[in-house]
Amino acid sequence: MHHEDVPAGDEELARLFAELPRTASTGEGDTDRIVERLRREGFFQARRRSFGWMLQAVAAVLVFLTGTFAGSRYAHRNSLEEMLDRKQLSVADRVLLLQRAGSAYVRAAQSYADATAHVDSNAVEVASRVLLGAAHAVARSSLDAGLSERLTTAMQPVVAPASPARKPIIWF
Amino acid sequence: MTLPHLPFELPDGALIRRFLDGDERAFRILYERHTPRLKMTLQRLLGTRRQDVDDVVQDTWLAGCRGLHGYRGDAKFSTWLTSIGVRTTLNHLERRVDRDTEVLDEMSAPLTNGPASTIDLERALAALPDHQRVVVVLHDVEGFTHEEIGEQLGMATGTSKATLSRARQALRLALSEGVSNAS
Repeated sequence: MHHEDVPAGDEELARLFAELPRTASTGEGDTDRIVERLRREGFFQARRRSFGWMLQAVAAVLVFLTGTFAGSRYAHRNSLEEMLDRKQLSVADRVLLLQRAGSAYVRAAQSYADATAHVDSNAVEVASRVLLGAAHAVARSSLDAGLSERLTTAMQPVVAPASPARKPIIWF
Repeated sequence: MTLPHLPFELPDGALIRRFLDGDERAFRILYERHTPRLKMTLQRLLGTRRQDVDDVVQDTWLAGCRGLHGYRGDAKFSTWLTSIGVRTTLNHLERRVDRDTEVLDEMSAPLTNGPASTIDLERALAALPDHQRVVVVLHDVEGFTHEEIGEQLGMATGTSKATLSRARQALRLALSEGVSNAS
């Protein structure tokens, strides 16, 4: 900002302008009045920095909880038990389910065997009966080309040598 | 309310940042630093309606604070604030045009307690039409250029120059004849 265009005849006017006071006194309560108005508009209620920090913390907790919940839901939805209960499964999913169930059987049997220090007749019977029951179920479902039937025949003396007429028990 | 001490010498930029962070002390310093000058400027711009100056000053600060996030520091804070004050004053003058009947009563109250010549000049300024008074105050008292005035008032630079010329002519006439006769 600067002065410009002061005609020669305006020197007196310019001198008078220069003598004019540039400041006015302010009222005693003016500052408090404007501070109060600003406070009503929320200017001094919370520091943005601390508010931002709190917001970030809350957001982080929410993200953590959401992730935990989503992970838990995903794990539950894909558990063996949950998939067994579901009706809407594709053929590929059902093949996968069968593989997983078989793997689970093998792992459970291995775990059972590991838990016994010597040959446990109960363990052998349980494992055999489950396997036999599964073979029977597969045979009834016509899912193989006679393999399960041969397997059933091969296992029959081991499971029930004294009572061949006894029906197999399906443990599933 | 007693607030912890904050150095009054802090520059405007630092105070603005603190104020935007919610520091009331920073705002108080800004307000007390800039309001005396702002108030006198707006008082002159208001002319015969200068009794409204306190409200206009408050409205100016409110508008300034609301728009402070947009202040980039390109101009001095005082200049930026004065620009807001000019717009606020013009809006006020447009709204209060129906109160022109107060003119004669308020003319008797001098704006300053200075020499008679400056009192006469203040009265002559107050008696000018609004648009002339605003141009002459911004140019001859506040030192704005015609380009800046044109931006502020939304007028061409040539219009600002012509208005200033007419305003000075009216002031010279008023001062030579006596303000009371001119009004």
